[in-house]
Amino acid sequence: MVNTEAEPELVRIGSVEKLDFSERERTMPPPESREVVFEVSDLSVRYGDSTALSGVSIKVHKNFVTAFIGPSGCGKSTFIRCFNRMNDLIPTAVVEGRIEYHGQDLYGPRVDPVEVRKRIGMVFQKPNPFPKSIYDNVAFGPRVLGMTDNLDEQVEKALGQAALWDEVKDRLKANALGLSGGQQQRLCIARCLAVEPDVLLMDEPASALDPIATTRIEDLMHELKRDYSIVIVTHNMQQAARIADMTAFFSVRVEDEGKKRHGVLVEYDTTPKIFTHPSDKRTEDYVTGRFG
Amino acid sequence: MSAAAASVELQSDKPRGVWRGRIFVAFLLLSLAIGFVTLGTLVIQVLLRGIAYVDPVLLTNPPSSDPNIAGARPAILATLYLGVMLIAFTVPIGVGTAIYLEEYANRDRWFNRLLELNIQNLAAVPSIVYGILGLAFLVRGLGLGRVLLAGALILTLLVLPTVIIASREAIRAVPPSIREGAYALGATKWQVTWRQVLPAAIPGIATGSILAVARAIGETAPLILIGALTFISFNPTVLGPFTALPVQIYNWTRLPNPEFKNLAAAAIILLLVIILMLNAGAIYLRNRYQKKW
Amino acid sequence: MRVSLQEELDQLEAAVQEEGELVLRALRGALGALERQDVELADEVIAFDDEVDDSYLAVEEGIQSLLARQTPVAVDLRTVLALLHVNLHLERMADYCVTVAKLTKLVAGIPHDETLAEAFDEMGARAEEMIRVSLDSLASRDMERAESLVDLDELIDRANRRAVKQVIAIGGDEERREWGLRMIVVSRCLERIGDHAVDIGEQTAFLVSGEFREFTDASH
Repeated sequence: MVNTEAEPELVRIGSVEKLDFSERERTMPPPESREVVFEVSDLSVRYGDSTALSGVSIKVHKNFVTAFIGPSGCGKSTFIRCFNRMNDLIPTAVVEGRIEYHGQDLYGPRVDPVEVRKRIGMVFQKPNPFPKSIYDNVAFGPRVLGMTDNLDEQVEKALGQAALWDEVKDRLKANALGLSGGQQQRLCIARCLAVEPDVLLMDEPASALDPIATTRIEDLMHELKRDYSIVIVTHNMQQAARIADMTAFFSVRVEDEGKKRHGVLVEYDTTPKIFTHPSDKRTEDYVTGRFG
Repeated sequence: MSAAAASVELQSDKPRGVWRGRIFVAFLLLSLAIGFVTLGTLVIQVLLRGIAYVDPVLLTNPPSSDPNIAGARPAILATLYLGVMLIAFTVPIGVGTAIYLEEYANRDRWFNRLLELNIQNLAAVPSIVYGILGLAFLVRGLGLGRVLLAGALILTLLVLPTVIIASREAIRAVPPSIREGAYALGATKWQVTWRQVLPAAIPGIATGSILAVARAIGETAPLILIGALTFISFNPTVLGPFTALPVQIYNWTRLPNPEFKNLAAAAIILLLVIILMLNAGAIYLRNRYQKKW
Repeated sequence: MRVSLQEELDQLEAAVQEEGELVLRALRGALGALERQDVELADEVIAFDDEVDDSYLAVEEGIQSLLARQTPVAVDLRTVLALLHVNLHLERMADYCVTVAKLTKLVAGIPHDETLAEAFDEMGARAEEMIRVSLDSLASRDMERAESLVDLDELIDRANRRAVKQVIAIGGDEERREWGLRMIVVSRCLERIGDHAVDIGEQTAFLVSGEFREFTDASH
C-alpha cells in the first residue's frame, strides 16, 4: 500500500479509510472468525456395499448460505440428508465418520432423531405440501411437537417469514394443493420455519420451479440467512454463485476401471474464489462448463 | 417443391390398416354386447318375474308356507346385521394389518414375506372352504353353535384378504414425499402414520371395504354350511339362529310351489338393490375424495 | 427481485463515485502545489495516489466477482462494463495528477513565467468541472449532460494550444526553456484529464443507449 519509508503526512489532502465496497466484508466477519454450526470429519455414506460418498470434512458456518454443487451422482443429496438424519429412514444406509452440531455428535448413541429434525429443517426438490388446508400444513409441525400455544400467531409469523402471508391470508382454510408451484414451495418453507429451527437444509429447492418463482426463493434465502443458517444442494451452479457465501464442489471418483464410483469433496471456499480463481483444476473445469 | 405437389403427397386413397382398425373395433363392440346382453337378459327376467311381488309384505312379514303372506323380514335383518358386523370386524383388523405390512414390516425378513404370500392366496380361496373352516373351528371347535356371530366371523375371514389388499393399495398410493415431509418436521413414525398416511388413505380404504362387504352380502355357501336355517320366523339375534337373504332366496327356489319362485325373484331384486346402493356409495366416495397429487 | 445483485451494483457504483471524489482531491492538490510551488503538497499528492490505486483494485475485484457470480445481462451488464471503464479512466486521471505533482517538484527553484498561471487556472478549473459533470451525469444517467462534456473539452484544448504558443514565445535561456518544456507536459496532462472525462461521458451514453460511440472523431 503506502511505502513505509519517509511517508509524508497526508495532512492537507487527508487520508481515506481503505475502501471496501463488498457488503460481505464490510458487515460480516470472514469465515475463519465465524461460529461453526456443523463440523464434519471424514464422513462416509454407503448403501449396503456400495459407497456413495467418502472422506468428507467440512465446516458449515452460522448465518451463511453454504452451497453443495457438483455433477449428478456425486453424493451431494446423500450428504445433505446426513445433517438431519434423514438417511436413517433408508434401512441400508450406513453413515460413518463424525458430524458435530454445535459441538455435539449428531449420531451419538442417545441422540433422538426427532429432536435433531426439530432444529434442522428440510425443504425438498419437489414441493410436497400435505393434502390439507394451508393453515393445517403450517400448523402440522407445531402440533406434532406440542408447541400449540398461539397457533394462529405462529402460523402467521411463519407464513410472513416465507413471504407468503399476503398471498394466502384470506384463504388459510383452502386446500394447499391449489397453490402454484412457487407458492407451494414457499409454503413448505413456512412449514419448516414454524417449528423455529436453527438450520434450513434445502435439497434443490427451486429446480422444479419457473424462473420467476426461482428468483423469489433466492431473494427469500437472502433474507432468511440473517436469522438462520442455510445449506443448499443445487445442480444449477449459477444459482450457487448468486446466493451462496461458501461453496463446496463435489465430484465423482472412479475406481476399479469404472466399476466403483463414489463422491468426494474436491474444494470448499468462499463463493467469489470458487467462481473467479478456484484452486483445483477439476473445480475450474466444472464451473466453466468444460466438464462435468 | 410446389405446394400442389406437397398436397398430393399428403392425401392417399387407401390409408393403411383402415379395415384392420374397423374389424378390431367391431370385435370390441361384440365383446361388450355379449356381456351386456347376457347380464341384461338375466336382470330383465328377474325383474319381470319378481317386480310384482316387491311390496311391503315382502319386507315386513316372516316367511310362511303361504306365498301370499310370506316375507323375508328375518333374512333382510340378518343380512343387514351381517353387513354391520362385517365392517366392524374387517376394517380394524384389515387396516391394522395393512399398516403393519406397509409401514412397519421389514420386507427382507422371511416372516413378513410369508405373511404377504398367505394373504395373496387367501383372497383366492373358494368361499365354501371358508364354510367348512367355520363349521369345524367356530361352530363346533369353539362351541359357538350355529349363530349369526359365527356367520359374521366366517364372512370376515372371507373378505379380510380383499380389505387388506385394498387398504395396502390405498396406503401405498400416499406418496413417499408426504411421509418425508412429515418426518423432516420432527414427527415420529406413529405421528406420520396416524396424522398423514391414514387420513390420506381413508377414501381408498373406505371404498375397498364397502366393495368387500357388498361381495360378502351375496355369499351363500359358507352360510349354508355353518347352518343358516331355512325357516325362521323370528327376528335374528347375534347369538341366535339365523338366516340371510341369499339363503332365503335359495330356499324359496327349492320349494315346489311356483309362487315361491316369484317371491325368490322379488328377493333377488331386493338383494341387488342393496348391493347396488353399496357400490354406488363406494363410487361416490371415490370420486368425492379423488386426490390430485 | 434479485436483491443481492442490486445491492452489489449500488455498492460498486458508490465506490466509483467515491473514487471520483478522491481524484478531485488529488487534482486540487496538484493544482495548488503547482500554483504555489509547494513541494510538500506535491509529495502528498504523489503518496495519495496509493489510495486511488487501492480503490481502483477493489472496484476491479468487485466487478470480477460480480460478473462471475451474478451473470448480469442487459442494463445491469452495461452498468458493470461502464463502471469497469470509468474505473480505469479515473485511475489514469489520478496518474496524471501525480505527473503534474512530480513536474512541480522538478521545476522547484527555477524561476518561471507568470503569464502561464492564468492559463493553468483556466485549464484546472475546466478539468475540475469536467470531472464533476462526468460523474454527475453518470449518477443521474443523463446522456445530454454527458454530451455537453465535448464543449467543455474544447475549452481545455484551446487553452492548451494557447499555453503552448505562450511557451514557444518565451525563448530565453536554458533554465527558462526547461521550465517551459515541463509546463507543456503539465498542460498536456490537464488536457488528457479532460479527454478522460469525455470518455467517462461516453460510457454514460453507452449505459443509457446501449450503443458505444465516440462523441467526436479523431480529427478534432
